[in-house]
Amino acid sequence: MSAIFDAIIIGAGHNGLVAAAMLARKGRRVLVLESRNHVGGMLGDAQFRVASMPSPLNPKVAKALGIKLKSHPMQTIVAAGDGSLTHIRGAMVSGADAADAAAYARLHESLIAKARALSPMLTMTPPGLDRTGWRQWLTLCHTGMNLRRLGKSQLRELMRIALSNVHDLVLDEMPDGPLAGAMAMDATLGGAMGPRSPGTVLSLLYRMTHANAATGPDQAIRHMPDGGPQAMIDALCAVVTQSGGDIRTSAAVAKILVEDDQACGVALASGEEIRAHQVLSNAAPATTLIKLLGPGHLDAEFVRRCRNIASRGMVARLDFDLAATPELSDGSAMNQLQRLISTDGSTAIEQAFDTAKHGRLPDRPTLESCFDPGNQRLSVTAQFVPAMPDGGWSTGLRNQLGKTVLATLEPALPGLGKLVQACRIMTPGDIETGYHVPGGHWHHGEFRIDQALMLRPFDGAGQYRMPVRGLYLCGAGSHPGGDISGTPGFNAANAALSDGGK
Amino acid sequence: MNTGPARKSGTSSYDAIIVGAGHNGLVTACFLARAGLRTLVVEKNGHVGGAAVSLSLTPGWTYSNCSYVCSLLRPEIIRALELPKHGLQVIPYEGGATFNSRGEYFSYSSDHDALRRELTRHSPRDAEGYELYARAVMRQCRFIKPLLMRTAPDPVRLRPRDISELLYIGKRFHGLGAREMAETVRFWTMSIAEFLDQYFETDIAKAHIAGSGIIGTGLGPYSPGTAYVLLHHYMGEVDGAIGAWGFARGGMGAISSALAASFEASGGEIRTGSGIDRFVISNGKASGVVLANGDEFHAPVLVSGMDVRRTFLDHVDESELPAEFLKGVRRYRFRGSSAKLNIALDAMPEFSGAPKDARFLRGDLHFLDDMMEIETAYDDWKAGRWSQSPYVDFLIPTQIDPTMAPPGKHYATVFVQYAPYELADGEWNDANREAFANTVLDKIERHSPGFRKLIVHKEVRTPWDIENEVGLTEGNIFQGELTFDQLLFNRPVPGYAQYRSPVRGLYMCGSSNHPGGGVMGAPGANAAREILLDARRKMDLGMATTDAAE
Repeated sequence: MSAIFDAIIIGAGHNGLVAAAMLARKGRRVLVLESRNHVGGMLGDAQFRVASMPSPLNPKVAKALGIKLKSHPMQTIVAAGDGSLTHIRGAMVSGADAADAAAYARLHESLIAKARALSPMLTMTPPGLDRTGWRQWLTLCHTGMNLRRLGKSQLRELMRIALSNVHDLVLDEMPDGPLAGAMAMDATLGGAMGPRSPGTVLSLLYRMTHANAATGPDQAIRHMPDGGPQAMIDALCAVVTQSGGDIRTSAAVAKILVEDDQACGVALASGEEIRAHQVLSNAAPATTLIKLLGPGHLDAEFVRRCRNIASRGMVARLDFDLAATPELSDGSAMNQLQRLISTDGSTAIEQAFDTAKHGRLPDRPTLESCFDPGNQRLSVTAQFVPAMPDGGWSTGLRNQLGKTVLATLEPALPGLGKLVQACRIMTPGDIETGYHVPGGHWHHGEFRIDQALMLRPFDGAGQYRMPVRGLYLCGAGSHPGGDISGTPGFNAANAALSDGGK
Repeated sequence: MNTGPARKSGTSSYDAIIVGAGHNGLVTACFLARAGLRTLVVEKNGHVGGAAVSLSLTPGWTYSNCSYVCSLLRPEIIRALELPKHGLQVIPYEGGATFNSRGEYFSYSSDHDALRRELTRHSPRDAEGYELYARAVMRQCRFIKPLLMRTAPDPVRLRPRDISELLYIGKRFHGLGAREMAETVRFWTMSIAEFLDQYFETDIAKAHIAGSGIIGTGLGPYSPGTAYVLLHHYMGEVDGAIGAWGFARGGMGAISSALAASFEASGGEIRTGSGIDRFVISNGKASGVVLANGDEFHAPVLVSGMDVRRTFLDHVDESELPAEFLKGVRRYRFRGSSAKLNIALDAMPEFSGAPKDARFLRGDLHFLDDMMEIETAYDDWKAGRWSQSPYVDFLIPTQIDPTMAPPGKHYATVFVQYAPYELADGEWNDANREAFANTVLDKIERHSPGFRKLIVHKEVRTPWDIENEVGLTEGNIFQGELTFDQLLFNRPVPGYAQYRSPVRGLYMCGSSNHPGGGVMGAPGANAAREILLDARRKMDLGMATTDAAE
């Protein structure tokens, strides 16, 4: 069979689509294969979206793809246990003690500045520990100069906190409470670390880089595009198809085909074989390497490291279909540009983490919720929930999770319980099976310094190129990491392009 | 020991004054005296040693009241200061074991073959895994050891010496090779639990090793950064055997008295029994100290062996210090998490899990099922309780060093992790101190039936007691947490990590400084080197072997 495609992309998640679009725009003949019946991966479809609140595409990525997607920063509303609300827009806080608000603004601005200084590293192939190309040196120098520009004391501060924990960072500046909780939430969301775990500041800085898309004072890490997450998926698909790329859904890849140490295509579950010069996988690293490629093509140490990727998911997603638009405790109706964070503070988040860590369901999980008026749907992210609770995820436990979440929301959204008509629950286990992510971590792997840069997803696999020639990782498991940004797909595509592959 | 009344000397002015006769203070003092500086050491307690002391609280018994085993004390220092000549003898101890609630045990042995057999007994895979694990840890020890006796570079100021130091570290790091560099980054940042999970499958074996990753810290075995803490406990050596631990004959106080003897042999003077009231600073320069008893001494060089918070918030006029430095000092984290029981025993206790007179009983004993049990103990501490099922590091030194108890009797040192400095429900008092001790004794009793009946006398030291008796803030045994925001150039305060304070002539030599805690002496030696550098004198580490003092 003669090779028809230049590149096959496994998985139509946003990173897969970004990679496909990059390649297609450079005239490559690309085919995107998606096992689910819809494109978008965790951005989901009308039925369910794991990432109901996307962060904006990295500006560099959007520019390269010519995507001009109008999106609006989402305002953060923090609800304490008593239902009292604190409003946050970027660094501006209202409804909180003036001193705390000022402290929050200072901390937020200094973190944003540090994140911005570091952001050139997002769109680079991480430098190798052994050798570093001139392009990478260029980026590193650029970053270095950014850092010098921060000034001596900011630079010292960065080097002190980089590996520190968010709990201490925040409580050094303000008392524990909703504001501190909001920041601790952004630092720990999606991961398997509590606010007191060293390294959580790094994940906060990473999230803060998303805010760079927005300019002006209103810097938010969450942006809602006009038309919702679907608009983002459609825009990406449009670029792929308009540049001559093909996308097939319900086409599950069963195997990556290899001929003399060179990836040469894929075999579908249906048995159909499709050939290509390059294969880019948006699936989780372990899924790609162990399941689709097979350990037979890899050296034992490489496989051992792959199996040791920390990717324990501790978030659940719940969707509630409501009879009417819910009202916040201050009487205002909830709109689609608000994200509601329910937390009492950093300590409370740590307690939730400890409970889940021991396999139990916390009484008051930390919640991030948004409302989609179009579908009258309240989407809730709940952490921490145990990945493997004692006794497994029984129906009883799922119902209990639903009840706990509604009870936690009630003070902020009085009367919510009566509005609920239907509820869909996705546990870490469901993410694991539904999206083929071992451990059910929605970032395909914990974001920590020992799993960042050239060590993401693990040492030896950190630069998108796999030991089997022509095979690339292009998903959130690769540098820089998770959330909706498109950067892993962008970087992987660049790696594939620079390797020729024609 | 130096417990007698302080000898008066004619004059009240010196070249250098060290405040605090802990082991680091004494090490600094020794090197300064050897370099020819007229040096005075002042100490608040009636005895020298700080947390490296041997006190007799009940007739016939000597306790190592705080620190209790020896390994980290840098061999360069032992040689340079001729501590053996001044009475220091370190006896390495064999083995160690962990007992679980099912009556099984895992025994550790420094004899590689014995250890391999023991691991195989639990799991052949773990025996294989251990080979990889041991090599990984050993490589990290080799990498870090040369950094201990050097001053951390300042990566922001970047003066020539900082650049050359950074280059030195960079060169060593790069010398590891790509794979090892990656392993190093991971090792220094990951949690001890995950690190061990890579190599071992047996819970009891993992639990045995994991303890070294959390001793003295306010972190759990699953907290990132604890693998480094394990390294901090393994980078020591006894007679060149890396990672080996031993007892100082006569208790840890032997180290301090050897240091004191060495110091006095080179003409130094020690005044015990009165602590410092304040450091005297005249127009921005250090000029002397005023003691609590009113005595006043003058010197152009003042060195504090106390932790950074105590030094600058209690004994220096804040107006002399820049605001940013003060903020750093106030922010510096201690978080005492360790407590100590010292127990005089009427006879050698027996352990239901172990054969009688087993060799491994001479080492460190633990009572644990798995690493999660330690994590749970940590959760208790976070909530402001002492651990309901604490991690204990239990040793009976008198099996090897009979000098610490009457013939046939024994002394048990019981290190306990975790105990909070402040209890959620009120202060430490005699009642809850006793309740805490009982929690620990209950755990021991479960594995050594009849243990309680053997108790002749016991001393209980909570973090609160350690702070008040020894002077370690919040009872943190390392003079401050060993987390990355407080290591290397961040320790104790970014920009002041080279043993110099913002006040000219006022130096820091305690474990609040790089490379941190443990009876290591490295901070003291490094501080001395910096002081002598400023005084344009040379430190005589090089003459270590041939040095014939006085």
